[in-house]
Amino acid sequence: MTDQDPKSRSGSSRRDFLRGSSLAAATAVLTGPAQVALDEATGAEPEVKVLTGEVSLTLKVNGEEKTCKVEPRSTLLDTLRHRLDITGPKRVCDRASCGACTAIVDGVPVYSCTTLAVTCTGKTIETLESFGTDANSVPHAFHQADGLMCGYCTPGFVTACKAFLDKNPNPTLDEVKKGLDGNICRCGTYMGVLEAALAAAKAMKGA
Amino acid sequence: MPWPENPKLIGTRIPRLDGMIKATGKAKYPSDEHPEGMLFGVMLYSPVPHAKIKTLDLKPAEAMPGVKAVIGIVKEGGLVRYHGDDIAAVAAETEEQARDAVRAIKVEYEILPHVATEPQAMADGAPEVVRGGNVKKGRATSVGDADAGLAKADAVVEMTLNVPVITHVCLETHGLTARWDSKEKITAWASTQAVGATAAELAGRFNIPVGDVTVLTEVMGGGFGSKFGADVWGIAAAELAQKAGKPVKMFLDRVQEHLAGGNRPSATAKVKMGATKDGKISGMIAETYGTGGISRGAQFPLPYVYAVADNKRTHSDVFLNGGNARAMRAPGHPQGCLIMESVVDELADKLGMDPMEFRLKNLAPNDFRTGIYEAQVAIGAEEIGWKNRKARGQSSKGPIKTGYGMALHQWGGGAAPDKQVTCIINPDGSVEVRSATQDIGTGARTILAIIAAELLGLKVTDIKSNIGNSTFPPGQASGGSTTTPSMSPPCFAAVSAARDALFKKIAPGLNAEPGDLSLADGKVLVKGEAKLDWKDACRKLGMMPINELGKFEEGLSSVGVAGCQFAEVSVDIETGVVTLKKIVAVQDSGLIIDKLTWESQVYGGVIGGLNYGRFEERVMDPTTGVMLNADMELYKLAGASDMPVIVVKAYETPEMKARGVIGIGEPPTIGTAAAIGNAVANAIGVRVANWPMTPINVLNALASAKS
Ligand code: FES
Ligand code: FES
Repeated sequence: MTDQDPKSRSGSSRRDFLRGSSLAAATAVLTGPAQVALDEATGAEPEVKVLTGEVSLTLKVNGEEKTCKVEPRSTLLDTLRHRLDITGPKRVCDRASCGACTAIVDGVPVYSCTTLAVTCTGKTIETLESFGTDANSVPHAFHQADGLMCGYCTPGFVTACKAFLDKNPNPTLDEVKKGLDGNICRCGTYMGVLEAALAAAKAMKGA
Repeated sequence: MPWPENPKLIGTRIPRLDGMIKATGKAKYPSDEHPEGMLFGVMLYSPVPHAKIKTLDLKPAEAMPGVKAVIGIVKEGGLVRYHGDDIAAVAAETEEQARDAVRAIKVEYEILPHVATEPQAMADGAPEVVRGGNVKKGRATSVGDADAGLAKADAVVEMTLNVPVITHVCLETHGLTARWDSKEKITAWASTQAVGATAAELAGRFNIPVGDVTVLTEVMGGGFGSKFGADVWGIAAAELAQKAGKPVKMFLDRVQEHLAGGNRPSATAKVKMGATKDGKISGMIAETYGTGGISRGAQFPLPYVYAVADNKRTHSDVFLNGGNARAMRAPGHPQGCLIMESVVDELADKLGMDPMEFRLKNLAPNDFRTGIYEAQVAIGAEEIGWKNRKARGQSSKGPIKTGYGMALHQWGGGAAPDKQVTCIINPDGSVEVRSATQDIGTGARTILAIIAAELLGLKVTDIKSNIGNSTFPPGQASGGSTTTPSMSPPCFAAVSAARDALFKKIAPGLNAEPGDLSLADGKVLVKGEAKLDWKDACRKLGMMPINELGKFEEGLSSVGVAGCQFAEVSVDIETGVVTLKKIVAVQDSGLIIDKLTWESQVYGGVIGGLNYGRFEERVMDPTTGVMLNADMELYKLAGASDMPVIVVKAYETPEMKARGVIGIGEPPTIGTAAAIGNAVANAIGVRVANWPMTPINVLNALASAKS
């Protein structure tokens, strides 16, 4: 890995490694995108060898035990979305930078796009589909404050917000900003999101 | 027929109808659809910026586990012209299998020389992206005598400004899920801003009547001008589905989304502008260029907003090995605005005038917007605290400098007068409005319901706003801030007609004339007296629902808005870090239907502009010709902690309201980056000529000012 490699700072070519248990993928780990491009173009990429094999997996999602078949490399996000039809969490950056895929695993918010499904057996997985919707709920606060437009980032924000407020029921505005910094919205709903988070904190206390 | 004079709902703050399904994760986006038997599609795209495809062997992919169909998109001997250009597509039972199969496709590239940056493309002897050279000069435009205008100037500034290409970064990537319902009929769940155009494109490609194509877009995850058709990958999904006999879902990965999903062209401008002592711009000469990759589209308005009687300009489109430009939120205007506003700001400084005063002096005398600007600027100046602004570079002695800047912008918008809405009143009292438009997050669905509820005396939640279906009456594509002005009038007409038809049916039973009836608070009134519940009234329809089609009506919508924005920043001149403290946006847009979603649009526009001003930049590697930041870590977008205080002010006087409905998607994103740039210059005393206002660009500007 060279110093010029922009990916080296985050080390996050790990995604590519997880995807293909092959030498081709390993190439992507060892060199920058420019080098990969050249290698591929010049035919330097080695033969593709794919080691596949599905395993049966039982996950406890939103209080229900669900069984499906996945490959060891399948992410929690793809497993939820593609195998279990739980499509609340969204795939956006697919490499732990935007938060759209946030799910709560054993009480901790995680980027499900960079969590392997097979590491989640025996854990409690919550997605926003299981959240309450009454007047004191986080989704309700987002709706009222219009903390969403296209709504594609919204599941991630709602989930991150819920997890954050569960731990910090009395946040200041600055704390909320920090707490939600792992999420990105392209439509620019941050004002509504921040208002929603503060309103939800207040409502939860009243509840 | 005019809008109601004393509306109950219009202009109030109404949470969007689909807010709860979005906030609970229950909304099904096109990328969430999973029709029975669905396969996963994956695209193979070019890893190199320019190559001839010597050989393309799909067979190894076909033999891979789970693979059901593979298609080539480029033919052997064909070209790929940018990093991310489409080559082939695969459909397999799982996405993992489809990705493996894409890797197994054998491609032999004959690498051709590339140009990936503007300087490369413009260099003498550069390899040609298009025949006849990469620089396509447009016709020079000239008004009056620019040289004479400059000659009489008391102050002249000359500068070169530059803003890079940025990409749309739609959170839901481009794509669709295609299912053949029979040999001749297709259903596509598409992430699109135009269900109608997408259906037409699919119909054309497969040579079937457009009526046999159903494009569904119940909700979608952002477009910003980049999603107006089926696109290569959408067609590929439908082809794969045809070949495999199963539905196929095809959404771009994040990398290709950056590379091929559209971008806003760059802009570089060498501008010379002069003004006389009395503060009037006297002349301007500009040479500009920009790149839309392998396509045109880098034109932008200049001069912008201000009256420059004597000016001349040449513009060139520069072609290079990069993805196609696509419309992006107010195409051309953000570039034109930040260039014009920087030069205007410099010129005011050089004349020693308050840049606000200078701007007001140079508004076009006969433009209807001039009075609006004057009023808006007064509001904005008060709100930002313009009186605290110090002369350029005079903010403080320490390393942290504060500054204020402003910018004016404008947009057209307006209505397409050929759109239709159906209103159905059912005997059970339910009400539906239908049209083949879509809601891309702007609140279009809610707007239609508000209009219907207003006219029928019902609650907004009583109305089913049924859009996002291409088989409905023709609706407007969501672009150019035209959706609300195009769709509100036919909605108004349809609901009014349905209401009148209902009155006609039930009046005899109430011993009244239809003209005696009115609706309020869920009741039918006879001469102002409540007589019947809405539901009971509808029950009198027996078996026959009312179904009325509404067309465009004049007088309910309008075109053309003005807006101004102010920014307060602090800049650390040791690190080059710009911190936004406050942004004020004052914006008119005629009659506002939903204040809440209107404000969200303006906040969103400002935040988009803030990204443009501070963070965004497509980085191309000149050596390899690939995009280096095709992800969401190194392609920077603002997060919650980057938010300054943002104050949004609707300029909505009775005269503005009387203009009718005007769209709001584009205008508020135009002036933000310009205002930020001017605030930075005011703070540090040096013009940062290269956007975005990153530490490196700020420090470079400071360093070159010193040397
Ligand atoms: S999709 Fe997982 S963090 Fe972006
Ligand atoms: S609401 Fe569209 S990305 Fe956040």
